[in-house]
Amino acid sequence: MDSVLNQVFAGLSMASILLIVALGLAIIYGAMGVINLAHGEFVMLGAYSAWFLQEQFGLGILVALPVIFLMVGVVGWLVERGVVRWLYHRPLDTILATWGIGIVLQQLVRLGIGPESRYVARPEILDGNVILGGLVMSNYRIFLIAFSAAVLVGTWYLLTRTEFGTKLRAVIQNKEISECYGIRPERVYALTFAYGAGLAGIAGALITPLVSVTPGMGTYVVVDAFLVVIVGGVGSLIGTAVASGLVGTASAAFSFLLNDTLGRVALLLAIILLIRFRPMGLFPDKVRR
Amino acid sequence: MNTTFKTDIIGYGLFAALILFVVPWAFSFDGFELNTFARYLTLGMVAMALALSWGYAGVLNLGQAATFGLGSYVMAMHLKLRASASSHNGMPDFMGWTNVEVLPWFWEPFHSLTFTLVAGLALPALVAWLMAVFMFRGRVTGVFVAIITLAFLVALQLVFISEQRYTGGQNGLTGLAPLELFGWRADAYSTSFYYMVAGCLITALALGLAVVRSKVGLILRAIREDADRVRFFGYDVARYETLAFCVSAALAGWAGMLYVLVLEFASPTYMSVPFSLGIVIWCAVGGRESLVAAALGAVVVNMLEGRLSNIFVEGWFLFLGILFIVVVLVMPRGLYGLFSDALQRLQTASPRDRGGKVATKTTRLSATPAVKEEN
Amino acid sequence: MGHLELHNLQVQFGGLRAVDGLNLSLEQGELRCLLGPNGAGKSTTLDLICGKTAASGGSVIFGGIDVTHMAEYERARHGIGRKFQVPSVFKDLSVIENLEVARSQQPGVLASLRVFRSRLSGRMDEVLTIVGLHDHLHVKAGNLSHGQTQWLEIAMLLMQDCKLILMDEPTAGMTVQETLKTADIFNSLRGSHTMLVVEHDMSFVRVIAEQVTVMDQGKLLAQGTVAEIERDPKVRQAYLGDEETADAAS
Repeated sequence: MDSVLNQVFAGLSMASILLIVALGLAIIYGAMGVINLAHGEFVMLGAYSAWFLQEQFGLGILVALPVIFLMVGVVGWLVERGVVRWLYHRPLDTILATWGIGIVLQQLVRLGIGPESRYVARPEILDGNVILGGLVMSNYRIFLIAFSAAVLVGTWYLLTRTEFGTKLRAVIQNKEISECYGIRPERVYALTFAYGAGLAGIAGALITPLVSVTPGMGTYVVVDAFLVVIVGGVGSLIGTAVASGLVGTASAAFSFLLNDTLGRVALLLAIILLIRFRPMGLFPDKVRR
Repeated sequence: MNTTFKTDIIGYGLFAALILFVVPWAFSFDGFELNTFARYLTLGMVAMALALSWGYAGVLNLGQAATFGLGSYVMAMHLKLRASASSHNGMPDFMGWTNVEVLPWFWEPFHSLTFTLVAGLALPALVAWLMAVFMFRGRVTGVFVAIITLAFLVALQLVFISEQRYTGGQNGLTGLAPLELFGWRADAYSTSFYYMVAGCLITALALGLAVVRSKVGLILRAIREDADRVRFFGYDVARYETLAFCVSAALAGWAGMLYVLVLEFASPTYMSVPFSLGIVIWCAVGGRESLVAAALGAVVVNMLEGRLSNIFVEGWFLFLGILFIVVVLVMPRGLYGLFSDALQRLQTASPRDRGGKVATKTTRLSATPAVKEEN
Repeated sequence: MGHLELHNLQVQFGGLRAVDGLNLSLEQGELRCLLGPNGAGKSTTLDLICGKTAASGGSVIFGGIDVTHMAEYERARHGIGRKFQVPSVFKDLSVIENLEVARSQQPGVLASLRVFRSRLSGRMDEVLTIVGLHDHLHVKAGNLSHGQTQWLEIAMLLMQDCKLILMDEPTAGMTVQETLKTADIFNSLRGSHTMLVVEHDMSFVRVIAEQVTVMDQGKLLAQGTVAEIERDPKVRQAYLGDEETADAAS
């Protein structure tokens, strides 16, 4: 019983990171219709930024988070301005181009920093555990859950209560008419892409104390995040949150019950089946586009 | 009367002459060089297979390496059994290491060469058919096809790596016997072997061209543009897409079989995501609208890799990624697009054909991206 | 029994009943015009007949066969053809290739594998003469003028040679001469083909139609000759009623 509870808790904390990754992915897809295959590499860049800031300046992850958000956000902004914006009318080609970008980012890191694993220390304040009966919860994982909830609320606030959010929703609804009202869609798109990338970067930084940092780490995370977006549907923050909880625990359960490989295979098959039968997700956006 | 048809046939003839006569002569019939080039040709074959579904039907199969890999394992299983004939129970060595006592039932039929050759085409086609029915009956299109095929590829590779007892796992199938076909022994480093591979590619191209030059090719192009409109003419769009997908898979399987003969081992890397990405890149660089151009694209990029990766080993993949982005951004129709635009401009300039209005308009149109797709 | 019969046909989008219990019957070889104010459900009716939209109730009987639950391509094989409001030709294909796609008497995959070259057979030649596109055989459809594109689409309909032709504003954007020529073509098809045409241009309707059906709010409002319809007070109400209330409000 206790081991099950511990598994669920571990799954939940991974789900929190997944939520942050998936939020970025869903926002980019929802706003621009771009399936960003480079998203995993944004996560990876975030992780390397955390490692770099700790190695060079002795910054802990918590202090470095805003810097990392900005750094990866700028990369996302450059990617949107440099490549993605030319392809909005060619959705198949955006997949290909972002795939290429992912490869380039991965190779740049591999060549520049090296292929070997890197490690980042956990913040000392968050050392230690909370013990509840047989359930052992590390402070860091509790922090992850709380932080991701905060990111969710922040994103909700940004999308519904700020001028930027209003503009973004206007552009999603009708790009041409928004332009007539003086909104510049290209700026909205670039900022949205940057925000999504920044979120991925944060997630990458937060995951560093739990896994080793390698150039290929992103691809692993992004598959789960895709499943979250497909299950949760785009345009529904609650859907994304529930979906990441489901996928995170399901993924942990699969790996626990079967083995790691079969767990991955089951996830991939779930993606395939869901795209085929529920292309709009389990929590579809109520508004007709 | 039909310029694209003429270009296709001339291009096909030139390509066949190039690989049959010019290449062996240029490498002065050196076995090692020809083996390398035979590898490029098999990769050309799988790029051509992708062009059939992506370029014509607009079905972007990001998991083309899956069918290629299946074909390669089919061939490797036969050759592995050949090589293990004298060992304990006639079982492959790696099974002994993982304590498999008897040969699994699905290995049995691969003793037969005929079965193997048929299965190398039929198994990938069958898998593709199942996927195609699954996707196209449900009217899955565009980016969603891309994601589904990619997910399938990753899952397949995971299974092949994890089921080490039956597949050799990460190591793949090594220590293979040479293929014996009608008393002819395939020596991967011989001139006759090169001609066999070149002959296969030329035959596969002819088959592919027959499909795309028939009315099926026309309907596929129409589907790429507006599938709904095609339905209102009474065509069952899903069946056309399925046909393109299956033919493409069978050709990829064929290429996979040849690839094992060239390299003399099968590996799960043949069905890896980077390999699949490679196929897409070759196809895009050559030009997805033409089968010959896609095959040529694979040959050119791989020759470049052969030369450049000696100079900067690690940087090659980086270079490939950048090349890919540039191709997608500025020349979505690949080298073929550049070439056909130039040809059109030449025709416009020639005084004989001065009904200029039509010709200039055609040039203008061809400058626009080829794939128009609504999400 | 009519060639095309709609029985109590219904469809809903969200809460809106776009077509609400529509009954309609067309005789073999008849040309019927479908009129009605914006949002009356005319285009949706065509969508329901050709299968673009699935009906939520009622039935579509064509040539004595219930086609209500068939896929688009199966209905097309039974002889239902559709011309859309926006010219929808294949822009990347040449004129002759467009016509070859439209020549769909044998739509199977295997039959298509055997056809290698679009030939100017008798029927294609005839059709090209009717619409006057002989000089543009190998031009990509995307490079044709707007008028030529309309002609190409009509040529494709003729090639398809369907028994029932559904048309959505076929003369939109045409010049007066082009409209007249279109009317000639329609009149020549009368008798051999059943046609259901959505049209706003009353001068065109007067030239082609004997019988007119008027829809309003998804229901059948009136039916009769053009003259009868123009006198019908219910029709005047449906078309002008909105304006009167609008006037009263302002």
